[in-house]
Amino acid sequence: MSATCQNLLEVDNLTISYRVEDQWIPAVRDFRLQLGRGEIVGLVGESGSGKSTVALALMHYLSSNGRVESGGRLQFDDEDLLRKSNAEMRQLWAKRIKFVPQNAAAALNPSIKIGRQVMEALKAAEGIDDHDGYTRMMRMFHDVNLVDPERVAERYPHELSGGMQQRVTIAMALISNPELLIMDEPTTGLDVTTEAVILDLVRGLIAERDTGVVYITHNLGVVAQLCERVLVLYAGEIMEEASVLDLFEHPRHPYTLGLISSVPKPGQSKSAAQLQSIPGNPPSLTQIPGGCVFAERCPLVVDLCRERKPPLETLDDGRLVRCHRWKELSQPLPPTPSRRVCVHATPKHQGGGATYGRPRPDPYAIPAAEQAKSPPIAMGGDLEGGWRAGQTLMQVSNLNKHFPVERNLREILGRLEPSPIRAVDGVDLQLRAGQTLGLVGESGSGKTTLARLIIGLEERSGGALHLLGMDVRNSVRERSQDVLSKLQMVFQNPQNSLNPYLSVRQAIRRPLMKLRGLSPEAADAEALALLARVNLRAEYAERYPDELSGGEKQRVAIARAFASDPDLIICDEAVSALDVSVQSAVLNLLAALQDDHGSAYLFISHNLSVVGYLADTIAVMYLGQLFEVGEARELFQPPYHPYTEALVSAIPVPDPLHSTERILLSDDLPSAQNLPSGCRFHTRCPRKIGEICETDEPPWRQGDAGHLIRCHIPLEELTAAQSGLIPLDEVD
Amino acid sequence: MKLETVSRLYSAFKRTAKSQLRHPQSAAGTLLVAFFLILALFGPQLAPHSNPNDQSHDVRVPPTLDLGALQLGEHPFGTDRLGRDVYSRVILGAGSIFRIAGLGTLISVILGSALGLFMGYQGGWVDEVIGRVIDALLAIPALLLALVLIGIIRNLDFEAGSWQAALADNVILLVISLLYIPIVARVARSTTLDIKTREFVEAAQIRGESQFYIIFREILPSVIPSLVVEASLRFSYAIFLVASLGFLGFGARPPSPDWGLMVNENRGGFYQLTPWALDFPALAIAILVIAVNLMSDGIRRAVQKGS
Repeated sequence: MSATCQNLLEVDNLTISYRVEDQWIPAVRDFRLQLGRGEIVGLVGESGSGKSTVALALMHYLSSNGRVESGGRLQFDDEDLLRKSNAEMRQLWAKRIKFVPQNAAAALNPSIKIGRQVMEALKAAEGIDDHDGYTRMMRMFHDVNLVDPERVAERYPHELSGGMQQRVTIAMALISNPELLIMDEPTTGLDVTTEAVILDLVRGLIAERDTGVVYITHNLGVVAQLCERVLVLYAGEIMEEASVLDLFEHPRHPYTLGLISSVPKPGQSKSAAQLQSIPGNPPSLTQIPGGCVFAERCPLVVDLCRERKPPLETLDDGRLVRCHRWKELSQPLPPTPSRRVCVHATPKHQGGGATYGRPRPDPYAIPAAEQAKSPPIAMGGDLEGGWRAGQTLMQVSNLNKHFPVERNLREILGRLEPSPIRAVDGVDLQLRAGQTLGLVGESGSGKTTLARLIIGLEERSGGALHLLGMDVRNSVRERSQDVLSKLQMVFQNPQNSLNPYLSVRQAIRRPLMKLRGLSPEAADAEALALLARVNLRAEYAERYPDELSGGEKQRVAIARAFASDPDLIICDEAVSALDVSVQSAVLNLLAALQDDHGSAYLFISHNLSVVGYLADTIAVMYLGQLFEVGEARELFQPPYHPYTEALVSAIPVPDPLHSTERILLSDDLPSAQNLPSGCRFHTRCPRKIGEICETDEPPWRQGDAGHLIRCHIPLEELTAAQSGLIPLDEVD
Repeated sequence: MKLETVSRLYSAFKRTAKSQLRHPQSAAGTLLVAFFLILALFGPQLAPHSNPNDQSHDVRVPPTLDLGALQLGEHPFGTDRLGRDVYSRVILGAGSIFRIAGLGTLISVILGSALGLFMGYQGGWVDEVIGRVIDALLAIPALLLALVLIGIIRNLDFEAGSWQAALADNVILLVISLLYIPIVARVARSTTLDIKTREFVEAAQIRGESQFYIIFREILPSVIPSLVVEASLRFSYAIFLVASLGFLGFGARPPSPDWGLMVNENRGGFYQLTPWALDFPALAIAILVIAVNLMSDGIRRAVQKGS
């Protein structure tokens, strides 16, 4: 490789090791990178692939148990970073090389005002006096779209929202006009709406400057929307490097291909095709295979792959790929295997044909007397051509959860009652047997509280729940065995959802004995059957959670939820913590189990594409209320509620050719204690029509096929204003 | 507890042992504690004179211990003013201190953790009320409370052979348990508060498990590591407390070979005559307390790493 001087960063043959119990383990091997000025290079990989290790190594800032092995080269401009002492590096860090961390809240000092922290960063970079520095800082705050910069400077970090904190760290990094910027998952903890805003911001800021950026992420959508070139990292090795267009259009490595096809695209649905997934788990770094590191999970593996490690080849067009069989991948691919043309026997298909249009008697419908004061949504099923047929499984009527707030001194003295936090405020929903209801919304919208009210982990303040026509008691403690066994839940965090001291077998057999009344022997046999159904081998029965990967833990949690053969399973962000390649396998599993058992899901996620894939019906929640309910297909087509529109437009689509006008929302969600009057969304609504939005609660408007939108704007006008957000060919 | 849980804890124990060896201080502490434990268990066999009150020796013989020549001699730690072999008395004293401090720790850990688990899981006013009582108890200096309790109980007249009398005989054990139950309960409570929000506990709740099952089968195993750390710490404090009470004359009664009592009996004017009769038991207390502390440091490190 010829050394060219115009590159800002040149990395070659970089091997980074960590010391684990007196042993040096090479976490990243033979890493190389060339970065020009003003270029944004994406570094993609799943957890454990070594992304963050690379980030730290590029800064020459490894922790004391890490080291760069000799023989590597790390050239920044004309400085050899590997030979620099810490003191010399500190000067570079202050001015020329900057870092934006994932967790802005932890990166900012909680006890120093924002203004002082940013000024410190600026003064470390250059000798500047307070007055000029302040002006520079204000300009920078303005550039990162911080509203009211003077006041922001006077605040402490905890007084800012997550999105604002991340803007501050970006401002802090860019204020010294660095030449190299390393961003380590800067939007991962943020809502899609906020993420979209930050990505736009980064794109704009980099275009103005001549900064080279290494952008680290696990999100292919973000890469497609932001980067020019991409490196795909797997188990510490570069699998492929290409321009973003080439990578998404013609991936040359089976891993890249697997990654791209395992992400559900907006509008893609389970009824069309199963998601691709990559079987297995990444290798342990202590036992790196001798051949190709991806061989164990590769669909194209041949003996050669296990015997000999493929070299990192440079292709004619300058791409890099590490695979013995990349040439075969340049051929057109076989079509994605489609599935469940016949197996899909959920009630919605039974509803078609002769009986369609003439509603069948619904044995579990709630007596009319109990339906008092139901807004149209609760009647959705009865509307002509409404939601597809399927018996009513659960009816949620006017559900409320108001968390009381402790009174402060002034309120105690003044005998004032503080207004409660209205986490869930008058939600009506209907769940149909065997179907999936997707629930989406930003964090703080009340999705999780709603789920916890239904499952009974939280006591409701008002409203009613009916399961199969039975009244469901408030909390789990009051509920009958029968109700408990019909309602189950899969939790978000696989780390915490299994007891570390119970084996897989113990975890699964307990609900079998408790809720299905099986004898220990029968429960053991059934537990093995359940394991098989979630595609885990029988030997997993004797393993403990710390011997399982995240995806395997979640499979066990799913098996446990299915043990009592429930009618409704609540999945609260059940795949959010998983890597994409594993996530798609779990989504496929959930879809297949639903086919077999006919269970309904209440599937909660902040990821619209994932919800869109699995759900039959989607409800959009904002500040404790529903704003749109409709069939999943409908949700990705106009008319949208303006809030849904913003959510949909913010999805980072993993396709570099896809571009939409993003509808950017401000990132300050109003507090649920002090809700906006009229329409709750009016403070952020880009389509606000006037005073009516601030004074009157919007009405439910009914569209095609039971599609309901709560907005003052008539649906025809919404449709007219919103078009072309998602190209229609992607919906089918 | 089921076999699987035991095997899990055993592997945690093995990990602890391994990590102990990596840190020389904690390894030394553990070895010293083991050494004292052997003295406690086999004292009567190891001591040259199994009767601690054998006064048949010459009085005030200085220590014959010769570290250079590695020889113990006739009276390694000398004899006291009554002609008792100090070496034998120190060895025989290990038994009582281990029995009282160890048993007291065990009782307080078992009862304290049950209380703490219950409070932590229950929450609400139960937690509030018990919590305030514990705070009040903890506000009184431990030694003072111990002295008051011992003073009261010893002055009560019980019928010989009754259970009250048996209780009064083991008053120090009782006091240690009473003093440390609230402390252990607080530790168990705070860990429980953390564990009970974990999703596996909620998973147990939504399948309608009883409170007893959730506390002891789901939560307890995760609390045990922090209880082990607390227990080792409590043990070192208990040793110190037993020695202090002995020294103040509230513990074992003469002529029993209690280390604290031996320090007390040989202080003041007697120290000029037989300094060794005070120095060696005092040294034993100091070494044991330091050793237990080093050991518990190591346990804490291993537990934190493992979690």
